[in-house]
Order: sequence, then structure tokens, then C-alpha cells
Amino acid sequence: MTVILEAFHLTRTYPLGATTVEALRGVSLSVEAGEFVALMGPSGSGKSTLLQVLGGLDRPTSGEVTLEGKDLGSLSDDEATRLRRDRTGFVFQSFNLIPLLDVVENVALPFTIAGGDPTRGELADRIRDVIELVDLTGKEHHKPDQLSAGEQQRVAVARALVTRPALLFADEPTGNLDYTTGTEILDALKRSCVERGQTIVLVTHDAKAAAYADRVMVVGDGQIRETIELGRRDTHEATPLIARLAQLGL
Amino acid sequence: MSLTRLAWRSLRARTLRSLLSGLGVALGVAVLFAGLATNAGIDSSVNSTVRDLVGRADLRVAAFGEHGLTPETVRAIKETPGVEVIAPALQRRIYLGPDIDAGQALPPPVTVLGIDPVAEPQLHDLHLIAGSLLREPTEPSALISEQLANEDGLTVGAPITMQGTGDRVTYRVIGILAGEGPLNGAFGRIVVVPLQTAQAVFGDDAVTRVDIGVTAGTDVGTVSDALVARLVTQPYVLSTPQDIAATLRNSTADFQATTALIAAIALFAGAFLIFNTLSMTVVEQVRDVGLLRAAGATRRQVTRFMLSQALVLGVFGSLLGVGLGVLLAAGMVAYVRTIGSVTLQRPAIPPDAAVPAVLVGIGGTRAAALEPARRAGRIQPVEALKARLDLPSARRARLRWLVGVFVIVTIVGLIAAPRGAGVVQALVVYAVLLVGTLCIPLILPAVARLAGIPFRVILRFEERLARSAMVRDPSRSTLTLGALTIGLAMIVALGGVGQHARAAAGAWIADVVPGELILSSIRPVAPDEGVEADLRAAVPSIARISPIATFDVALEGARTDAAAVVGADLAADGRLRFTAGDRASALAAIDAGGATIVPAGLADRLGLAVGQTLTVPTDSGTPLDLRVVGIVERSIPGSGGEAMLVGWKDATSLGVAGADAFAIRFASGAPASARDELRAVATTYALDYVTLDRIKGAIDDAFGRIFGLFDALAAVAVLIAALGIVNTLTMNVIERVREIGILRAAGMTRRQVWRSVVVEAGILGLAGALLGVILGLIVGGLMVVLAGGRIDVATGIPWQIVGLSIMLGIAVAMLAAAYPARLASRLPIVRAVRFE
Repeated sequence: MTVILEAFHLTRTYPLGATTVEALRGVSLSVEAGEFVALMGPSGSGKSTLLQVLGGLDRPTSGEVTLEGKDLGSLSDDEATRLRRDRTGFVFQSFNLIPLLDVVENVALPFTIAGGDPTRGELADRIRDVIELVDLTGKEHHKPDQLSAGEQQRVAVARALVTRPALLFADEPTGNLDYTTGTEILDALKRSCVERGQTIVLVTHDAKAAAYADRVMVVGDGQIRETIELGRRDTHEATPLIARLAQLGL
Repeated sequence: MSLTRLAWRSLRARTLRSLLSGLGVALGVAVLFAGLATNAGIDSSVNSTVRDLVGRADLRVAAFGEHGLTPETVRAIKETPGVEVIAPALQRRIYLGPDIDAGQALPPPVTVLGIDPVAEPQLHDLHLIAGSLLREPTEPSALISEQLANEDGLTVGAPITMQGTGDRVTYRVIGILAGEGPLNGAFGRIVVVPLQTAQAVFGDDAVTRVDIGVTAGTDVGTVSDALVARLVTQPYVLSTPQDIAATLRNSTADFQATTALIAAIALFAGAFLIFNTLSMTVVEQVRDVGLLRAAGATRRQVTRFMLSQALVLGVFGSLLGVGLGVLLAAGMVAYVRTIGSVTLQRPAIPPDAAVPAVLVGIGGTRAAALEPARRAGRIQPVEALKARLDLPSARRARLRWLVGVFVIVTIVGLIAAPRGAGVVQALVVYAVLLVGTLCIPLILPAVARLAGIPFRVILRFEERLARSAMVRDPSRSTLTLGALTIGLAMIVALGGVGQHARAAAGAWIADVVPGELILSSIRPVAPDEGVEADLRAAVPSIARISPIATFDVALEGARTDAAAVVGADLAADGRLRFTAGDRASALAAIDAGGATIVPAGLADRLGLAVGQTLTVPTDSGTPLDLRVVGIVERSIPGSGGEAMLVGWKDATSLGVAGADAFAIRFASGAPASARDELRAVATTYALDYVTLDRIKGAIDDAFGRIFGLFDALAAVAVLIAALGIVNTLTMNVIERVREIGILRAAGMTRRQVWRSVVVEAGILGLAGALLGVILGLIVGGLMVVLAGGRIDVATGIPWQIVGLSIMLGIAVAMLAAAYPARLASRLPIVRAVRFE
């Protein structure tokens, strides 16, 4: 398998009054193409910071991140932005849709930003395709305030997937959803991984969500404390993961 | 901590926005203060002019025409019961200096005032800065004004040579009078000599005016009636100091009304800025307010907290505004110098104008803050801690507030504005601007779409985002656009009125002068002086010399401008546009005598029609009947308005001694050198060579100064609007922080974010400019129509001003976007996407 994402000795510190907070303390990891990886840990463990640094939304204080062999630290802001636009997708806990745009327009946003015309040709096909993937066919012209919370998050997933990114980063995508709706989102993510070979890095504090992943990295105190290999499975049974976490005393 | 201190800290936490808002108030107050100070300056100049003109006199009898008041009339005045003292004076314009060289430009003329050295000081104070006053009725001495002394380098003891009707006479300067001297309209170049010597120099035993002091305890009205009963032999004007002051004030009324209107508009823009600032503060501080409420603060306390912030801004802005206003007023007075018939002597900075300006500034700020403060007070703690404000109710409130502020500013304007015809005009303009601004929410999406077209061509996505942001909160965009629109509308309107006035004046000159240039004289040139024959002999290629004289007649008890012309010359030159009467026969009739052609304005005012007969008093005592033979669109300008035209035969009966000007027409094919020859020979007769282009240029300059000043004041309103745009765009950025974060996460570059805010500003600017131009053209047209003019759509649109306004609107708006665009493009993505 090809390594798509690598991180070496990442640190990230924030000033807090007179002191500094170390959110990451020398994290190294690698993710292979087509893999579904979960970063799991309690609040304040540094998992979201790690995801933001891996996705190029934030820069590490030290260390290096390479995405498809490119060192993100060596890129200018514009280059990093283009790489993010073309090669990655993001799903956040808050649905983060543009309220003035409808479903199609929100999904088409990365194309529109890039100056493309999303109303015709291959781009229009791709938009139709991801809307179908997240099961929103028929609601293309609904505005976000006309959709349920789960539907809004599915729009966010579709937007993240529409560019066919090399990597999809999802930061607590089910955090604001009830169990059933959250399961729908995780199913959609898993489907894109299995059916389309999409690489996914998921941040969660929920073992049931993490159980969708092939591999779970347990984050604590700004470090990767443990890596649990679950392998590609047909079910999302969380019991083995929970048992393993218990074994490790986490 | 007290709420006031908390308010102060809240403002300090948003230093830039607080400073911008304070500056907005300051600019509004500055224009108001400058307007009040200039108007006070005009009043004080009017008073001082009246004081200089009339002194302690209770009445003035002034002559019609060059012949002046005869010795018999002066005697009759003196012998009128109740008259204690009279001060007769003779006034003439001359050139100083021993000789005027042929071909040289004529120097500026001086006005010679002959006074009775004994009687004059009883009614007039002559303020000397050097030397002594005149004492003897026949002494060859003169007083000169300080300005003349400075301009011509004259000192006490210096000789001055004057050319009268006979030989040149040389007098010695014995005293220098302060400033511009005791006469209005003499441009400060005044020579005062004893009356008897002046009469000798000019070969005239008449006087121009007689000032009268009545016996103590005598009713001025009774003396006035007695004078009217006694003075029957020649036409005259009897006036009181109040009449003269009213006439002078009338000539400044339009200027004062326009200044007041612009000040009101600038204040409106300032109030808008405060409203938007505090609205933003409410939105930003909604959680703080929720916490205050949760901690036990009452609604009243929260309202007070917000109002305290407005008070701080109001006090700061008003005090700064008075400082800026002092500078602005000084600049205005120095720039304009003359308004109507009043020369502004010095920048008047009355301290009593500062109090109303500060009060209006603080009051306006508080009024603008009332609605946001009340809105803040109504926030429920739970609502504040978990949700956003109810925007629709805020929007409705904003539009109500807009109407409210317009009404308040109108009332303040009505109280503060000078009385006069201009007030109605200002009210109509104001109402049109209000209606125009209230229509903005209805047409906002369409206007935004239209204004977005140029941006859409190159920045499609940014344009879409920008337009979405604009229509997200239509009332805020309306207020922002409203301030910009009315500022630009005023610039366009004033530009239109200025262009109309210039065009009308230019067309006027071209329409009434029977020649291609004018030789003007400061004294009447009598036909028997042979000047015309000498000019023809010196320059044979002159085809026609047409003498013109302007004078006054008493028509139906009122002073009316009149002009003596040669009808045949006007006919030959194709001048005058007739609205009634037959052109050829009318022009022939005035040459024959007993006929007059009247301008349309005078015909309308007096209800005259062709065929009617006017009776005009003459010096001989036998009234002259003049039949109206034609009505013309425009006529020769007199001292106060358009003149009724008579032939020279009747003019002589009316006491006209000679021509003030000669209109010259060269024969076709005249050599270019003919003009230079004429210029040279004209100088030897003390005739000033003036081309029609030079007259138009002088008119353009005069209008340019006044309208340039108005435009500069209106530009202050645009500047305030620009501060409002900074606030609105910043608010739009703050409300869209998360959206910007998403866009950045989805691949939007910093430059794209920056561009989207700048494009938003550009659309706002262009939309404001388009609306401003349309509204400005309507308002300008209305101002022209209300002033009695006619709109000419083909030539009446001030394209240059329109173009400049559009560029100004876009440039100002895009410059205003610099800060919010930078703010938006530098938002950290991680924090932005988490922003609630």
C-alpha cells in the first residue's frame, strides 16, 4: 500500500497568558491510501489539533507533515490552500454550511472557489454522484435551514468528497447528532472508503464511531499513546475496541 | 465597576471602530458648526456693512440714475420737519494715476466718495488707522481705505491723481480708513474727499445719497411720510437701515439655506454611523449583555450601558467636530469671500455657535443610540447566551429609525436654518432624499445585481458571495447605501445646478449682447464726447458700435433695472428671444421712443402683456409713458436683475447721461490686428476691453467657487458614509467569521477572501453611486425648477460630475474596505470554523 500522509515529530504549542500549552508533543504517524484511521481521545487530548495540523489548517510549531510526498511546511499559504482545496476534504462537528447557498451550491463550493463551472460537464456529474452517495437526491435546492441536522452534515460530507480528495478529515462529525443520525454519517463515510477507496482520518471521542475505522490511534497528552489495529471489517461492532481499550486501561 | 466605566472600557476594546464613529460625528458636527459660523459671519458682515453704509442715520434717500439728487431735492430733505441732520454724499468710480498708457490693461478702478466733512461724522464713524479726518469742505485732501493703501502702496502724505471731467487733480492722502472702508461693493478701493471738491472734480452739483438723522423723540415713520409728501420732483429710493439689511440678507439666503441643507445631510450621515456602530456593538456584545442580565442587571441598566457608550462617542465627536468646524469655517470664509452683495470681512467664529453644534452632536448621537440601546435592553438572558438576535425585528426597527432621524434632523434644520425662500427648496430636497432612501430596500437586490455586473465578469465567485452578504441584512445595507447615496446625490445635484446656472449665464450673455466684445466704462460716456467716432476712425474694420447703459427706474413704487439699447443693433445681430410681440417692429419701436421690451421674469411678476403701458417718473417731473411692445426670455443684466429695455431717446428723458458699455461687432474679414488696435485705443478712453469669453469665464469662476464649496461640504457627507462602509463591512465580516472559515477550509485563498470583501465594497460603492446619480439628477432638476429655471435634459446633465461621483463612490467604498478585507483574509481558519 502507498503511504499518503506522514507526520514526523509534530509539536504544537499555544501561548496562554504568561505560560504556553503544549497541544502536541512529538507526534509521528503515517496513513496509507484507502485506509480509515480514527484518532481517539478525551477532550483536550490534542486529537483535533493533530487533525488540523495534518490537514494543513494549522501549522505545527515544529516537525513535518507530508501529504502525497509534499512537505506542507514548505508550501506558501496559497499553495497550501490549493493543496487543501484539491487534495483534501474536511467535515466539522458544526455542519458549517453557507446559509445563503442551497445543497448543490454548498456541495459545489470547492469547484466554484477554484473558478470552475459546476453546472455542467464532469463537475455537475460529480456533484450529482456525491449527493446520491449521501442520500440527498431530491433535496438539491433546499437551503440549509430547510434540512435536518443529519441532512446538513451529509451535505458537509458530500462537499468534502466532491473533489475526490486524496484524504478526508472528519473532526467529530457526529458530535452534534443523535445516535441514529450519527450512524448514517458514519455509514456514508465508510461507504466512500470501501466503495471508492477514500482515505479517511476521523477524530472522535466515541468508541462506537472509532470502531468504523481500520486502525485506531489513541491520543492523550498530545501524544499517540496506542495504536489498535481493527482491520477492514463488514460490521462496526465496537465491543472488541472497547475491550482492548479496557485492557490498556484507557 | 460603574456602567459608565464599563461602557468606556467597551469602547476602548474596539478602539478603531470607536475612533471612526467619533470621527463620523465630528465631521457631521464640523459641517454644522462651519455652517452656523459662516451664517453668523454673514450676519455680522451684513450688520457691519449696514453700519458702514448707514451709520447712525435713521433714513436714507438714494438717487436713481447718474444725475443724482438735485440741490433742490437736498434742500427739500433738509427742510422736512423732524429732520435734524443730513449727510449728503456723491459717489463716482474713476481710475487713479497720472496717465494710462495705450495698450496697457486698465488698473482696477477706485470709488470716490465725496462727503460733507462736518455733517458726515455726525452720522457715520470713519475708523482711521493712520492720519486724520477731513476738516475743510474744499481742502484738496483725501482719505483712502486700508486695502487701497496696501494694494497701491499708498501712505499718509502720498499724492493721488484723479481724472474728473476737466483737468486731472492731485490730492494728498491725509488719513487711512480701516479695512475695506465705508462702502459696499467697492472691492475695498475707496477714496474719500470733501463733497464740494468732488462735485467740482466731476462737474456735478448733485449728490448720490442723503443720509438723515431725525430729531430725538421724532417718529421715523412720520418723517418718512413727510419726505414722501415733499419729494415729488425726481425719482428716489427712501429706505431705513432695516430695509438695507433685509436686502443684503436676501442676497445670501440661498447660500445659507444650501449650507444648512448640506449640514443636515452630513449630520444624518453621522447619526447613521453611530446607529450602525452601536448596532454592531449590540450584536457583538449580546453574550456580555446576557451575562450582565443573568448577573442581575436590569433592562434599564443595560440600556444605560449602551447609551453611555453613545454619550462618550457624542462628547468626543462633538468637541473634535467644533475644532474641525473652526478650521472648516475659516476655510469657507477665506475661499468664498463674497456671498451675494455681502463681502465677508473675516472668519467669524462665534462661541455661541459651538453650544448648539455640540448639543446637536451629542443629542444626535444619543438619538441614534436609542434604538440599539433599547434593543440591547430587551435581550433575554437565555436568548443572549444561546442564540442570535431576532434580526427581522432589528431590521424593521432600523427603517423606523431612519425615518425618525430624518424627521429629527428636519426639525433641527428648520429651527437652525435661516428664514427665506431657500427653506422650502431645502425641505423638498430633503423629502426627496428620504423617499429615495426608503425605496432602497425594495430595489436593493436589483441594484446589487446591476452594480455587480462589472465585478462578475472577472470575479464571478467573489461577486456572488459579496452580493449575498449585501442582501443578508437589507436594512443595514440600506442605511450604508443611504448615507453614501445622499452624499453623492448632493454632489451630483449641486453639480447639476451649478452647470445649469453657468449655462444659463453663458446663454444669457450670448443672447443679449449685440456684439462679440464689450468696451466697458466706469462712468457714463455721453454721445457728444465723440468716443464712438474716434473708435471708428482708429479701427476702420469695426462694423458696429452699440452703446448700452444700465440704470434704475421707479416702476410701480419699486426700483427696477432698466437698460438703454439700440434696437436696430439688436435686430441686426439677431439677439433677444421674444416670447411675445413682433421682434422687428418691437426693436424698431424702442428706437422710435415711447416703447419698452420687458424680460419674461418682470412681465410675470407685474402681470405685464404686450400693449400695456407703463408710466415711469422722470427727472423733469413729467412721467414717461412706455408701451410694452415685446416680452423676451432674457434681457441685459442690471444691478439686481434683468433690465427692461428702452431706446436711447427715452433713456435720455429718464436721465441717462451716457453709455456704460459699447458692444462691438467687427466687419467680416476684419484683420486679427484690429482687435489689438481697438484694445490700445480703448485704453486711452479709459474703456476696459472685455471679450464675451472673459465675461463667461468670470461667471464660471464665481459659480465655480460657490458650487465648489458646496461640493466640498457634500463630500464630507460621502466621507462619513465611507466610515459607515468600514463599519458595515466589518460587521459583515464579523457575522460571517465561520462562513469565511469554511470557505478557507474548502480551499479559498486569503487573496480570494480579501477580494470578496473588496468586491462587496465595490458593489456597495457602485450601487450607491448609481442611486446617488439618479437621485442627484432628480434633486438637481427640482432645485433648478424650484428656483424658477427650466431643465434642459440634453445639456443639463453634468456628465463630468456624474463620472467623478461614480468614481468617488467606488473609490471611497473600496478604500473603506481595506481594514475589513484585511481582517477577513487573516482570520485563522481553525478559530473561524469554531466561531459561534
